[in-house]
Amino acid sequence: MNDNEIIRVENLHKWFGLLHVLRGISFTVKPREVLVLIGRSGSGKSTTLRCINFLEEPSSGKITIAGQSVMLSPGVKVDHQKEISMRLSTGMVFQEFNLFPHMTALENVIEGLLTVKKWPKDKAIPIGMRYLEKVGLLDKRDVHPIRLSGGQKQRVAIARALAMEPKVMLFDEPTSALDPELIGEVLDVMKQLALEGTTMIIVTHEMGFACDVADRIVFIDRGEIVEEGKANDIFNNPQDERTRAFLEPIRKVRLV
Amino acid sequence: MAVETLPYSRPPTEDPDLGMGKNLLAYQRKMRLIQTAKIGLVWIALIAFLTFALLQLRFDPAYVFSHYGFVLQGLATTLGISLASIGVATILALLGALGKLSNNAIAQGLSSFYVSIFRGTPLLIQIYIIYLGLPQIGHQLQSYGLTQLGHLFTLTAVQSGILALSLNYGAYMTEIFRAGIQSISHGQREAAESIGMTRWQLMRRIILPQAVRVIIPDIGNQFIAMQKDSAQVSVMGIWEMTYRANRMARQESKFMEMFVVAALFYWLLTIVSSWLEGLLEKRMAHAYER
Repeated sequence: MNDNEIIRVENLHKWFGLLHVLRGISFTVKPREVLVLIGRSGSGKSTTLRCINFLEEPSSGKITIAGQSVMLSPGVKVDHQKEISMRLSTGMVFQEFNLFPHMTALENVIEGLLTVKKWPKDKAIPIGMRYLEKVGLLDKRDVHPIRLSGGQKQRVAIARALAMEPKVMLFDEPTSALDPELIGEVLDVMKQLALEGTTMIIVTHEMGFACDVADRIVFIDRGEIVEEGKANDIFNNPQDERTRAFLEPIRKVRLV
Repeated sequence: MAVETLPYSRPPTEDPDLGMGKNLLAYQRKMRLIQTAKIGLVWIALIAFLTFALLQLRFDPAYVFSHYGFVLQGLATTLGISLASIGVATILALLGALGKLSNNAIAQGLSSFYVSIFRGTPLLIQIYIIYLGLPQIGHQLQSYGLTQLGHLFTLTAVQSGILALSLNYGAYMTEIFRAGIQSISHGQREAAESIGMTRWQLMRRIILPQAVRVIIPDIGNQFIAMQKDSAQVSVMGIWEMTYRANRMARQESKFMEMFVVAALFYWLLTIVSSWLEGLLEKRMAHAYER
């Protein structure tokens, strides 16, 4: 594998029953790059993201993350240990936050360090505090998720993923479950991460944000990559008919 | 670098109509209190009526007062057997549920077979098989020269009672645990997997702590039911409340007196148990209250 790549996805297929949701997806991500996946609902962009850390088992294809790779084909079970060790290279942020409700904000953030990395508490807590501070929520460390707003929950979830110090952060529509007035605070955190050079793959419907932070945009339609390129090129000069049709309403709004 | 966000601040002015809300709240509270008081009165009336009726029908209260202590001495045994059994049953249920939910065919087979057998047969038969049936096998084994193993099959009455109640309730509670575990959203599992937890770690740290909270009321109900079902172990001559009541009742044919006393003690026991269960439930709700 090329040293200049942190993720390489080759010919990824995913079947749900007889539904062929991913039809040979291939792409690479360089270190410090921000890749944004866009496309209609049901186009396969979330599934692509979820296959990268094996929350969905890919039906076939090859996935390489930070030097570890796994080949998949129908009927071949991936080794659970291998899955876990590759997962540790990625951090995932979900649309529905999925914070652990029985733990405080800080406990959520350090859970992985304690349970997975088996760190002692006194080593994990300062790290947890550091990441809570990074997302601006140090003062909420002893609060349970139910007393946090949606935006705060999502920021804790980001801190939880960051605390494991993954090589790549994966964001699966991180603002789609948020009230409009809470979206900004989450996007701010993500922009900050992008500025710091965090490698990220983001699935989002926030086109303005995508245009701002993306180094590269990939447009997926019906389980295939239709077009990829720099944000400006995709938004201002889409080559493919389908990309144009998808972006047309958004471009109209931006012109106004 | 920290990200700054504006804190949302409430407008400082107080609602001028706050008094209206307070009045409404006070009124609702008062109505609830009155309703509770009325229900309490109905209870008192019912108890008074039943007591009166019993006294009219040659019920002998003096016998009750002089002999209730004999039944009460069995309380510790009843409670002890129930506590031990609910403990073992909980462990069996947890194993059963994990078995049912695992991908392993042997584990699934074992646990579904166990649940099917023990839910499909009467508790009393299970008690008879364990207390009277197993020693028969034990004797046979001893005659083959397997003395140690044979001993294992010959249980005392108390051991048999605890084993039978545990196995029986463990089977019912397996379903409760399974439902509780499955009630935890899939997102929790995914979040735990995404930070690299193994199946066992995520079960122990994420799923079970949440599932236990969900099923505490059900476990409480099972415990209450078990306290009453433990009366069935009296067939083995264990000196718990039912056996003692039965014995004393037969001595002077005071059936109504002694069985009413036993019933009262069971009743009080379950009232206390459900009160304790309520406290526990409240304590565990802490993290879930705004």
